[in-house]
Amino acid sequence: MDCCGGTTEHEDDCGEVKVKDSIDAKTVEAAKALESENYSAGFSTTIDTDFAPKGLSEDTIRYISAAKNEPEWLLEWRLKAYERWLTMEEPSWAMVRYPKIDYQAYYYYAAPKAGAKYASIDDVPKEILETYEKLGIPLREAEVLLGVEGAVETAAEGREKPRVAVDAVFDSVSVATTFRKELEKAGVIFMSISEAVHEYPDLVKKYLGTVVPQSDNFFATLNSAVFSDGTFVYIPKGVRCPMELSTYFRMNAENTGQFERTLIIADESAYVSYLEGCTAPMRDENQLHAAVVELVALEDAEIKYSTVQNWWPGDEDGKGGIFNFVTKRGDCRGDRSKISWTQVETGSAVTWKYPSCILRGDDSVGEFYSIAVTNGRQQADTGTKMIHLGKRTKSRIISKGISAGKSDNTYRGLVSVNRKAVNARNFTQCDSLLIGDKCGAHTIPYVENRCASAQLEHEATTTKLSEDQLFYARQRGIAEEDAVALLVNGFVRDVLQHLPMEFAVEAQSLLKVSLEGSVG
Amino acid sequence: MSTALRDFIKNPTAAELELVARYGMQPEDARRERAFLAFAETGLPHRRMEAWKWTDFKAALKVLETPAAVSAKDPLPHDGALVFRFTPKGFEAPAKLPDGIRMVAQPSVQAFPGAEDVPMGALAAALAGSGKRPATLTFEITSGDAPRLHFVFEGAGEASFARIIFLVRSGASLTLTESYLGGSGLTSAVLEFDMEKDAKLNRTIFQRGASDEALAVTAIAHLGAEAEMTQTTLAFGAKVARMETRVVHQASGSKLNLNAAYLSGMGFHADITTNVRHGAPSCVTRQLTKGAVLDGGTGVFQGKFFVPRKTGQHTDADMQHQALLLEDGAQVFAKPELEIYADDVECAHGNTCGALDDAQMFYLRQRGIPETQARAMLTEAFIAEALGMADEAVRDVLLAEAQTWLSS
Repeated sequence: MDCCGGTTEHEDDCGEVKVKDSIDAKTVEAAKALESENYSAGFSTTIDTDFAPKGLSEDTIRYISAAKNEPEWLLEWRLKAYERWLTMEEPSWAMVRYPKIDYQAYYYYAAPKAGAKYASIDDVPKEILETYEKLGIPLREAEVLLGVEGAVETAAEGREKPRVAVDAVFDSVSVATTFRKELEKAGVIFMSISEAVHEYPDLVKKYLGTVVPQSDNFFATLNSAVFSDGTFVYIPKGVRCPMELSTYFRMNAENTGQFERTLIIADESAYVSYLEGCTAPMRDENQLHAAVVELVALEDAEIKYSTVQNWWPGDEDGKGGIFNFVTKRGDCRGDRSKISWTQVETGSAVTWKYPSCILRGDDSVGEFYSIAVTNGRQQADTGTKMIHLGKRTKSRIISKGISAGKSDNTYRGLVSVNRKAVNARNFTQCDSLLIGDKCGAHTIPYVENRCASAQLEHEATTTKLSEDQLFYARQRGIAEEDAVALLVNGFVRDVLQHLPMEFAVEAQSLLKVSLEGSVG
Repeated sequence: MSTALRDFIKNPTAAELELVARYGMQPEDARRERAFLAFAETGLPHRRMEAWKWTDFKAALKVLETPAAVSAKDPLPHDGALVFRFTPKGFEAPAKLPDGIRMVAQPSVQAFPGAEDVPMGALAAALAGSGKRPATLTFEITSGDAPRLHFVFEGAGEASFARIIFLVRSGASLTLTESYLGGSGLTSAVLEFDMEKDAKLNRTIFQRGASDEALAVTAIAHLGAEAEMTQTTLAFGAKVARMETRVVHQASGSKLNLNAAYLSGMGFHADITTNVRHGAPSCVTRQLTKGAVLDGGTGVFQGKFFVPRKTGQHTDADMQHQALLLEDGAQVFAKPELEIYADDVECAHGNTCGALDDAQMFYLRQRGIPETQARAMLTEAFIAEALGMADEAVRDVLLAEAQTWLSS
């Protein structure tokens, strides 16, 4: 994108950004630390890579399916999605602008030549080892991460903190999944989706595409046709997953799109906390990332899904960067189930992402906590959808958007209450902060209420937050404004602090951000 | 009808073909053509258009015909006002207007910038002017104490269109009341207000229709320096009824109060849509919309504040929408939107939606007030807040109308 290009509001984008005095200096600093020149994950790894032929056609899909040795039904499933995708139009309603994407200019599959899984540390290509080291993961942890047999146990013992099992996805393939054996003892299935297709075809068949159908939207349909790898998790009945699960997505190869697919199922009364992190090298071209995440929570189950999204955002003039067009949806299928999304969004040139909850089971709960920081020429259009279908379903949306540089940050959310969702509740709060005079902050909430006993509040007065909690804080001499900040930020902080160290770097710096000077 | 005319709108419905035919019967006029083309780009607005996703005229208005119901009685007082009456075929105005108010009725269509943004307004501008009605009616207000102008839209017919322009000169003030009383299958009126420095406008809109009618009232206002506009709407809806107001703060220091109440029962749909552009520094907007909806009724609120980068600095704007769903089967759709590019502003919005407060109900019930009455009292108090800034001459009438609806 050229400087001074775009709509009228961006005509005066050239020149220095001026920050008004009332903005908290620490906040400005924290946002500055996230500028692209400080992007530490922007290196690339030189490694021999196998590519699918450039471009997208039926042949590409057959190539991907063959490379993964997939069963016939999955190939059919992909081809059906592709056929459908050809008839669809790229959505244009989001408040983002980007040059037209040439879908034939990407590689849809890229895998390290050496293969995907390694039995011994000696087999692991040095380049991959170094990549994870450079991403700030100490060698000892890297051994754990890379799933080298033997190293797993020792590294695990060496850790005092709760352990994290990691699925490491490098371009289009999962290169390692750690702690699989230990998790298996608890009955937890944690593996790449390519492996799950072979090992647990019935489970995959039963749930794949049931939350985000093949033809859900343009990008999800594209993903259904070409998805490469991703993570599959199944937590059996009554099991509390003994450790945090996570996936670390790394895009490396040039001109490559990443299209992972994650499917997490928490059976009755199960619990899992899952984290994902993403980084990519600095490249001048825009790279495409169109993922699909499907969560299924059955009766009394709980899924906590956290994301630290730090894809390469492009340089300060908007050159390069990832197009992050992601469909994430959770289905609270059982009564009293709960799905909670936490996202820290700092990367990507363009973000188009709405992690949602379908609150189907009675008394089910959906939560969405988001901090989105945009810098440079980044554009983020992100938010959530809470679809209340079951009785007494509850949802809570806390979204904080911070725009700096010449960026645009949009919250777009839907709260929809079905006629049968008796006594449903929603609380939504969106804060936006503009740092400097060249950025934009937008809020587009949609509310659709078809149930008289539902109680929905969007950005309601502070007293509505929780009068009891506020009163408690106030009677202890805390000023009302501080009390509100304490309650709202406290909640988000609490969630962010649960992120493990590998993912917490960006999140920690965000904790310094205060929303003083918020514009609404 | 010629094929060329048919091609104006893609896949037209019977109602749209009838509108094209009506356009074909109008005398040739380049500005009329421009307005009609702006409408024809989309045809009757429908749910696939973002701004109309909850108010679908195309689906609601398949054919253009005279509805079974007759116009409602006008509750707003005619005494002390200059009354202008619009019917599907006619227009009546007082024989003489006092000094300070000038009216010009023109058979030609006046330029309509921004027609593309308001398809129903563009339609009104293109088709106003049939029969005895002028294509454009322009009022110039130069006095600070002109009597209230009262516009009545009523009478049976298939369709009724009007375009009215107000020029409120520097320091002048206008009190305007409008009654949209139904009777026509489709009513579409577009009103434009050009308010100069220090001009004042108090506009009150009363709308009542039948469940087989469609209505769109589009207002576009430009506020000069220190100008002040206060608008109060009471809408009962129709099969589809959209009350749309677009305001531009054009020079610094202007102030806008934008209030509305909608009461929507079985088979009725009331839509309050607003768009406020803070195109000048240090302007103030206060917006309050309240709604109460019964079983089978629909309420829609869409509000947007747009604050441009340089000109919008020091904006002070607040948007609140609160809706009560009084019965099962009621539905409310809301979209309170902010688009902000200036960094030294205060913009807030709030949206609540739900049933009456149980605690308040209990309080009244334990004091021996029957449930129906308690409910009416609480709802009335809730709605009244949005009607408090209406002109004195009509405020009590609006309250009484709301009260009658709530207690029936």
